This record gives sequence, C-alpha cells and structure tokens, in this order.
Amino acid sequence: MNALRRGVRNAFRNAMRSVGVVVILAVAIALSISMLIARDAVTSKIDTVRASTGNTITVSPAGFFGGQGGGTPLTTAEVTALLNLKNVTAVQAQLTERLSTSQTNLVTPITAGSLGRQFGGGAFAGAGTSGSTGTFTVPIRVIGTNSPGNSLVGGANGGGTEKLTAGTAFSATSSADVAIVGKDLATKNKLKVGSTFTAWKTTVTVVGIYDAGSTFANADVLMPLATVQRLAGATNQVTGATVVVNDISNVTAVSTAITKELGTKADVTSTEATVASEIAPLNSVKDISTYTLIGAVIGAAIILLLSMLMIVRERRREVGVLKALGATNRSVISQFVAESTTFTVMGAVVGLVGGVILSSPITTALVNASGGTTSSGPGGFIRAGAGGLGSGGSGFTPPTGAGGGFGFRGFRGVGSTLTQLHTSAGWSTLVFALAAAIVIAALGSTVAAATITRIRPAEVLRSE
Amino acid sequence: MLNVEKLNKTFRTDGGDVHAVRDVTFHAGDGEIVAIIGASGSGKSTLLSLLGLLDAPDAGSIEMNGTQLAHLDAKGRTKYRSRQVGFVFQAFNLIPNLSALENVKLALEFAEWPKEDRDERAQEMLTMVGLGPDKAVRRPNKLSGGEQQRVAIARAFAAQPQLILADEPTGSLDRKTGQKIVELLRNAASAQQTTVLVVTHDEKVAQQADRRLEIEDGVLVEIA
Repeated sequence: MNALRRGVRNAFRNAMRSVGVVVILAVAIALSISMLIARDAVTSKIDTVRASTGNTITVSPAGFFGGQGGGTPLTTAEVTALLNLKNVTAVQAQLTERLSTSQTNLVTPITAGSLGRQFGGGAFAGAGTSGSTGTFTVPIRVIGTNSPGNSLVGGANGGGTEKLTAGTAFSATSSADVAIVGKDLATKNKLKVGSTFTAWKTTVTVVGIYDAGSTFANADVLMPLATVQRLAGATNQVTGATVVVNDISNVTAVSTAITKELGTKADVTSTEATVASEIAPLNSVKDISTYTLIGAVIGAAIILLLSMLMIVRERRREVGVLKALGATNRSVISQFVAESTTFTVMGAVVGLVGGVILSSPITTALVNASGGTTSSGPGGFIRAGAGGLGSGGSGFTPPTGAGGGFGFRGFRGVGSTLTQLHTSAGWSTLVFALAAAIVIAALGSTVAAATITRIRPAEVLRSE
Repeated sequence: MLNVEKLNKTFRTDGGDVHAVRDVTFHAGDGEIVAIIGASGSGKSTLLSLLGLLDAPDAGSIEMNGTQLAHLDAKGRTKYRSRQVGFVFQAFNLIPNLSALENVKLALEFAEWPKEDRDERAQEMLTMVGLGPDKAVRRPNKLSGGEQQRVAIARAFAAQPQLILADEPTGSLDRKTGQKIVELLRNAASAQQTTVLVVTHDEKVAQQADRRLEIEDGVLVEIA
C-alpha cells in the first residue's frame, strides 16, 4: 500500500469528520460552480446583446435626421477620411434625395393616407407635388450609395433587409445612370431589368430589383452615389454614412474618434452607449458572481487547510512513527495530500451536482436583485440611422445589418429579455470543478505539508 | 557490529543546558542483546534517538559495520532508518487504521523491498512472532497489548535491519506477556543476527540481556 492509497483510505478514517468536511467543501464548490454558471450565462447574454447592436456607427450631418431638421451636408472627403481612423474597416456613404412628380415619371406605390396628409402639410411641405394636405403625393426616395453590395445584402433602406430578386447591383464606384428599384415601385411602374425611367431629366436604366420586405423600403430607388450627386446637383454632398468597426468592443472608441474628427458638423450615434447602460446591471451580476466564485474557492481552501491542519496535529505521533520507520517527508506529505484531495474530489462531485441544480435559481435571483431597472418595458428607441424620409402610411421597422440604417432602430426587447438568461453546464464547468478541486486541495495541503516537515520524530516519541 | 565513541548530546532549555548524553562509548556485536537501564530522565531514550538517527549528536561517532552514521545528511539518515534500524516502542505505535499485516508491510515499503515479496515476508514475520492469518487481518484495536507488541516486533525485524532499538518494550505489558516479548526479541535477534538494544528500567528484563549497561545523568557504564 503506497502513500497515496493510505491517504485515500485515511480520508474515511473518521466518518463523521469526513462527512462534515465533504459537506462544507461541497457547499463551497456548489456555490462557486453556481457562480461560474451564472457568470457564463450573464456573459453570454451580454455578448448577445452587444452583438445585436452591430458594429456600426451612424454619422449624419448635425441637425439632420429622418428627413427632417436642417444643417449642412457632409462632404465626400470628410466621410472618406473616416476610413483612416483606427479600427474602421469600411465607410458606406449615402446621399438621400427626393424625386417629386415634376422630377420623375415614376409613381410611388405608397398612398399618402392620413399620415402622409398630416406630415405632408408640415415637414414635407414642398416635397411632394403639392403643399396642400389634401393633394399630397409621397415623393420617391432616391438613395445614392457607394456600397450597393452591403446595402443589398444586409442593408436597411428604411426598414427591412434588401435582397436582390432580379438583375445585378452596380459597382461601388459607378457613376452610370443606373438604378436598382424596390419591388413595389417596379410593380407600380411596370419596371423590369432593362427598363428605363426619368429622373432629374435624365434617363436611368433599371439594372436590378430588390425586395426589402416592407412597403416603405420597396418604394425606394438605389443609385450610385456619384450619379445622385451629379443628377441632383449635390456635388460631393453626403447626408449620411455608416462606419463599420472591426469589433464591437471598439465601437465606443471609434465613435469618440469620429466626433473628434468631424467636430460639431456631425451627429455621431451608435447603440453602444445605450446598450452599455442596459447591460450595466448584468455586468454588476457578472462582477458579483466572479468575486463570489473566487471567494468560494478560497473559502473552501481555507476550510480544507484548517481541517488538514487539525488532522495533521491530531496525527502528529503517527507522522513521527512513520518518519522513524524511514518514511520520507515527501511520502508523508503525499499521504496527506491524497487525503485532502479525496475530500476535495468528493466535495467537488457533490458540489458539481448541487451547483448545476442551484445555478438557475441563483442566477435568476441575482439578476432580479440587481436588475430591477433593467427588465421592465421596452428599451426605447435608439437612433441607428440617419436620413430617410417619413412617408405616409409607413411605420418604422427595425433594420438589421450594416447597410444603411435609415430611420429608427427599435431596440425594444433588450430590456425585457435581460432577465431571461439561459444557464447551462458544459465541459468547461466540469473542467472548472476539477481545477477548483486541485487548487483547493493544493492550497489546503500547504500548511499541513509545512507542519509535517517540521515534525521531528525524536521529539514526538520522546513525549511518549 | 555497532561501535559508539564519545557520543554527546546537549539540549538547551529555559532552565539551562541539559547534557543528556555524555561521552557515551560502547560496542555491541551482531545478534547480541544489550540492555540499557536507567532511571527516568537519565538519558536512555535520548541515546536511543541518537543511535536510531532520529536526532543528531553534538559530538562523537556511531559506526555500524564500518559505516559512519553520525554525520549523515537528512536523506541518508532516513535511508538508514528504513533499512538498517528497527524500532520497538513501549506504546507499540502501530498505525491504527492498518491491519497487522499492513503495519508490517509498511516497514518493507519504506525499505523498498520488492513489492511482490512484501506480502509473503510480512506474513512470515507475523508467523514468527506467533500471529496467524486470523490475527494478521485485524487492526490494532482488535488485538491485545501483547499481540500489538508482537506486530511491532514483526515490523521492526521485517526489513532485516542490523540494529533493533527497543524502548521499554515491556513497559505496557504484564510481566508474563513481557517475558514472552523479551524471548521473542532474543529469538529474532539470534535468527537474524541482529544487534538489539533494549532500554528498560525493569531489572528482570535487563537480566535476560547478554550485557547490561547503566546510564545515569547521561553517562553510560557497563554493569559486570
């Protein structure tokens, strides 16, 4: 029987004490595992929420938003310069214009309705064919973009994701008189790929048709940025840009850099700040669970340390006898480490089961306790887009992706789902339990080992 | 053959230095039983600790079959104890949660006997001291005092040491049982040609030894 086997056997030498030590260790380990699972669940939720905000920043001329307000357009050079900022991977510039009935032969598929009449007499006065609320016609929105690929694939032209259903997209640097038109606009005007229409007294050829899934977005016209700037007489003007950042964690820093770069000329918005406040309680839970986890592991180690110290002192004579018989310090220490490891492994097994079972209610309790301000009601609207035209009869649909971001981004749901955490224990939890057991056993054995090395058999046996 | 020359050991205490062993010189031959008698506090247990290398002497030499032991390092002392010395204590000092057989095998493990031989050797030693297989599987608390001391003797002789140090081996036993234990020590010493030093304050036990030494205030003298 070697030292390790003796150690394992010694762990069962005093049943009552062994049960006591194992139960205390199990409680500590269960707590640490619950905290680990809670921490993982909260971290996962935070990552999900952060990821849902996207890694984009919207830049619009100061005072201009949603087709309303005023201000001075940004220039192509100013927007292009943003590409030089650290962590910026792409800059998608846009120029939004409106085609009144006198500027195009296209007919909008959107009826004015009461909303159109209401806003047509106000913000849209002069935009349509008539300033009168009674005869208001919704203008055609034209979006000049240097990123037709992104816009079409993942873009949000005022709501919905645009998918090319016919034809092809124009190139990013194109200045040709071409357009991709929304499905509803195409239907209304009987346009197909190859068809032409008139805009600003210029014949424009349809090269593609898209479906964005919303009435508002499907009434738009996408054209090359340079073309719109030329035809609309808005040379070098940009009414909005979407800056793509390489990582979500850099969004705040890049936002700051853009603000510094453009100063008061632009409004720079991202969902990052709002999300940060939304997830602050979760971060608090994450911190609490981290500290509790560490505390529980240290607590377990201290419990084991004191238990082992008590056991070594109780078996001082036995240690002396073993040494007198020729046992090395290493051998005796191994025996006690094996004993403490046995306690810890038993505690870890029980604690693992308990921790997994308790993790869900503990996580819920933690989140509820700290998230009273996070879980009620919609999170409110967060601006994620710039430009865009309000049109009669159209609602706001949350856009997704990085392609445009016109209008508002409805962010409701983040707050209401913050408390809906999914806890799960995987291999990492098992590995943690094992690692924690090793750390606890190692720490718990140190003082016992030091005591063992100091025991001199002559002194122990002399006191016989 | 054990040769001890001018062995000295002093302990520093709050009440001043205690010279526990003073210039102790003696020798003991193979298979010889030497009794060391003395009153409590005379230094006999300290002498045993020095000879068993549980303690280091301040001065003097201990030679076992031509090997100087007094100045071995900690590792060397441990190795010496495991292979060349066997201890028999007054309180038996068996490991309580191990069986008699496992207690004997413990000494063989420390002496690094081949694993495959340990079981047979331990059984053989227990048989030698009169404990059959039924007793071999019992834990110490299921054995009488005499039986426990027999296990301790079996453990001490198991690794075929050159020296057995017995500290009051009959101190916790009745006279009759003590007598048998001394006989066992004699027989084992004779069978394995092992030198046995028995520390005792029992004159009758001492009289059964081949030679008698008396220690008083750390000074050892031979009794004719």
